[in-house]
Amino acid sequence: MSAAIQAVELVKTYPGGRGRPPVHALDGLSFEVAAGTVFGMLGPNGAGKSTTTKLLTTLAVPSAGTAAVAGRDIVREPAAVRARIGHVSQGSAADPVLTARENLRLAGRLRGMRPTEARQRADSLLEEFGLAEAANRAAGKHSGGMRRRLDVAVALMHRPQVLFLDEPTTGLDPESRSAMWTEIARLAADGGLTVVLTTHYLEEADRLADRLMIVDHGRKVVEGTPAELKAAAGARSLDEVYAHYAGRRFDTEGAAA
Amino acid sequence: MTAIQIPAPASAGWFAQTGLVLGRWLRVTGRQVWGVAASLFQPVVWILLFGQVYAALGALPAFGDGYITYLVPGILMMTVLYAGAWAGSGYLEDIRTGVMDQLLSSPVRPSAIVVGQFLQLLLVNLVQAALVLGIGALGGAHYPGGIGGFLLALAAATLLAGAFCGASIAVALRTRSQVALIGISQLVVLPVTFLSTTMMPAALQPDWVRAVASWNPMTWAVELGRGGLASTLDPGLAWAQAGGLAAIAALALWWAIASLGAYRRSL
Repeated sequence: MSAAIQAVELVKTYPGGRGRPPVHALDGLSFEVAAGTVFGMLGPNGAGKSTTTKLLTTLAVPSAGTAAVAGRDIVREPAAVRARIGHVSQGSAADPVLTARENLRLAGRLRGMRPTEARQRADSLLEEFGLAEAANRAAGKHSGGMRRRLDVAVALMHRPQVLFLDEPTTGLDPESRSAMWTEIARLAADGGLTVVLTTHYLEEADRLADRLMIVDHGRKVVEGTPAELKAAAGARSLDEVYAHYAGRRFDTEGAAA
Repeated sequence: MTAIQIPAPASAGWFAQTGLVLGRWLRVTGRQVWGVAASLFQPVVWILLFGQVYAALGALPAFGDGYITYLVPGILMMTVLYAGAWAGSGYLEDIRTGVMDQLLSSPVRPSAIVVGQFLQLLLVNLVQAALVLGIGALGGAHYPGGIGGFLLALAAATLLAGAFCGASIAVALRTRSQVALIGISQLVVLPVTFLSTTMMPAALQPDWVRAVASWNPMTWAVELGRGGLASTLDPGLAWAQAGGLAAIAALALWWAIASLGAYRRSL
């Protein structure tokens, strides 16, 4: 087993501003993700999930600690990391005015693909994600589910080794959510691709993740396979696991109740 | 555990990235041509209204060949300022939708993101400027400077656009607020316009306005355009004004690129 991600004592502190104390978004977070697996990150809002994703995708720089993604250091070799990752953020990856096909080709070309290569890859992804019929429609006119699938397709254009999915099904209707789960499971099963999944939905984590990490107050609370976590907590569901470790319930909005 | 080591995937060079970013924004502009068309409504109204209301001013010797001919280079630069005020809003939209996060976590160079869109703004500005001069001619303005004067006016408009668009991008990236962007632009546009020779020649201005106006880059752009179109340029002064505008435009572009770096560091 080799590691696609090795994070060691990651710290991220934001200045509080106007005399307020600084915010410790991450307070020494360490974990590893094995290549070819789906790694789920759970935790209430403000727990540090998004900050972890920002650091590992090189959007932000850690205040302390180190991490390697696809074997490259996030601080010393950010360009090398960027070339090897795909990132589906909570927002959209697609320009709403451009068509699905144009968005895909642009993403590929910006990452150094040749025009013919980008065209072929875009066409095959459009097919794969059920977007072929909507390929020439402006992305802004797509339904929520289609738009999200396009975001994932955009992130996969350059065949990344690690795919970050930040709340990929938030705001989707149940049908689109289930379609997205099928897509994610398929991507993971194809082998090679490592997926880091941040989610508010325990069912999503339970179904898709090989390993799970619960984060709170910028620290790791517990980590293991869904089955291990349930066994250790003597719980039947992840909801009970979450309540056991975080000391509170987990509602679908992700806020600690 | 051993980390995976795979040879670096190819990444497009800076020029290719800039060209792709430029291509993206040109496509977006092409699908929203009404935006370019709508921005021409204002100069048409200005040329018609000012031209009619202040027509009597043309009798004063300071205005030379009639007020419309005097005014059109000023209207040209005002159009540049008003359009430039919106320059940064493309970034606010990208930040809001999430496209910016996508770009910043891809191997695209931040300077290519800024320069690509900057070039699109200058190209759109160039088309608008040419159309304003055409509208001015229809409104009765004369351009004795011919094609050379026409090109010089367009060049001056491009330099002014560079300065204002660069500043607008920087303000957008630092405030991240459409309201702040438009507020600051409005705050700047009117004083910059009135403390220049846009609508009133220096000879007719109070001393303090004349002193301020001579250091106002808006005056430099207007005088370059006006002198070029009328073929009355003083080459020494023109080079100094063009050099000043180019320096400010370069500084503004640098500020815009630095502001994208500041935005990233704030994430």
